[in-house]
Amino acid sequence: MSADNQVWDLAEGYINNTLTVAEREAIQHRMAADAAFAASFQECADLISSLKGNGRQQKLRAMLKDIHKTEIAPTAKKKATTIPLRTHYWRTASIAAGIALITSMATYLSVHPSDKKASSQYSVLRREIETIKRSQNQLIQNINQQKAAKPPAVARYSGTGFAITNDGYFVTSYHVTDGADSVYIQDHEGEYYRAYVVAFEPKNDLAILKVEADGFKFGKGEVPYTFAAGKAGLGSKVYTLGYPEDEIVYNEGYISAKNGFEADSNQYRLELPADPGQSGAPVLDAKGNVLGIVTAKGSQSEGNTYAVSSKALLQLIHSLPKEMNLRLPHNNKLGSLDREQQIKKLEYFTCSVKVYKK
Amino acid sequence: MYTSTHTEQQLLAAFAVGDRYAATKIYNQYYNVINAWLIKNGASEDDVADVYQEAVVILYEKAQQEEFRLTCSISTYLFAISKHLWYKKASKQQKMPGSLSDHAGTEEGEDWAYEDDVNVQVEREAHYDQLNVALEQLGEPCSSLIKAFYHNDKSMQEIAADFGYTNPDNAKTQKYKCLTRLRKIFYGMQAK
Repeated sequence: MSADNQVWDLAEGYINNTLTVAEREAIQHRMAADAAFAASFQECADLISSLKGNGRQQKLRAMLKDIHKTEIAPTAKKKATTIPLRTHYWRTASIAAGIALITSMATYLSVHPSDKKASSQYSVLRREIETIKRSQNQLIQNINQQKAAKPPAVARYSGTGFAITNDGYFVTSYHVTDGADSVYIQDHEGEYYRAYVVAFEPKNDLAILKVEADGFKFGKGEVPYTFAAGKAGLGSKVYTLGYPEDEIVYNEGYISAKNGFEADSNQYRLELPADPGQSGAPVLDAKGNVLGIVTAKGSQSEGNTYAVSSKALLQLIHSLPKEMNLRLPHNNKLGSLDREQQIKKLEYFTCSVKVYKK
Repeated sequence: MYTSTHTEQQLLAAFAVGDRYAATKIYNQYYNVINAWLIKNGASEDDVADVYQEAVVILYEKAQQEEFRLTCSISTYLFAISKHLWYKKASKQQKMPGSLSDHAGTEEGEDWAYEDDVNVQVEREAHYDQLNVALEQLGEPCSSLIKAFYHNDKSMQEIAADFGYTNPDNAKTQKYKCLTRLRKIFYGMQAK
């Protein structure tokens, strides 16, 4: 490949976000050392991003014209008798729009290679459930049949979730629930409850869900942990509880870098063993503050795991409409307990998230 | 099934990646009120479509930034931008009603809010116009090849088939050649 093509290749990778951390660093070093390369690289990258931006804007303009033609023009002809959308239509309309929104986002994520989840250094930790495990679940379920709602089919993926409020709001990773037909949680006692998505933020890989059942409670009292508003320091000892199997599993480690994958400041990098199924698991410090949510695993070393910081979660929670009445826990009841006692309490507020898709 | 409550942030996030449902929802939701204001201030039906669509394009560009999505109120933003655009356009067309200049854009003390965003878009458009001119000068097949890849999201595989290259790698080499020529033309124009 000629030198010219190589610059284009790098610039294209840079713009599309498909370079590895090492490749990015190599470019930065080279730019610092070689002014001619820096100028040339900059021009190439600018041109590519302008071409893409130009294309995006053209497409948007065409789409807006079309929307105008189909949505606005026909009603304008009837001479401005605007029909107010009645409130009871709103619900259906917004649900329909919601489903479309979710589907289209899902395609976007899977089609565009620029998405970081496509990178080979980064693998999300949802677990594909084998049928054998499922038959075990079935047994547990038969025993509890009077109480447990019955999931419709074999779960395709599982992750972990943990409570935000005792009455059923909980958080998990966006990629766990992404594209789901239905979501169930299996609580500490093995019972299934249906849940629905309340809000999500693909960029930070977060989803907030609510258990559907009336009067549902995760545990006896309020949620015993609080969410850290700032970022914890390098070297902080952390632990996590998740469901890589049908049984809850404990792991411990430490914060190994303040920023996450590709220096994402909404993430931490952890040295903490994690397995598929642990996406969405809480990452807590020694005093029982939630610092983050397990999101993905790096490939550089065995225990290299990424977690989204609780700050990003709080941002998402604060963006929710007030009517939802989601009250964050204020009292940390774990601070004075030893680890074993902390875990005993936490078990009630951590659940397995089962996702069903066609 | 999902019964998601969609906040403006989520709507904007979907809109930012070009989602048609999100775009339609945003477009419809604020059209009437802005249409009424523009008509009252002397805009024709065509003016309204132009101004409003331009405002939505500016919203789209801004929505690429996450911080903006988190803090933005879509209605305030679209209204402010539309007023601003109409003010500019009307003064160009000299259709300006006398009362407008005193009050336009000063809603709730936000004196000429978002003027920068409008200016950035004007610059961006000039930049894209220049790029389009350069693309025309580039000639065929380069111009079509680059448009196919960057504007129409065709894969190298499809391009190889459409343009008669034996394999995607050859098409890619050709694309880089075209880009190298485009770069010369485009930055040559800018230097002038």
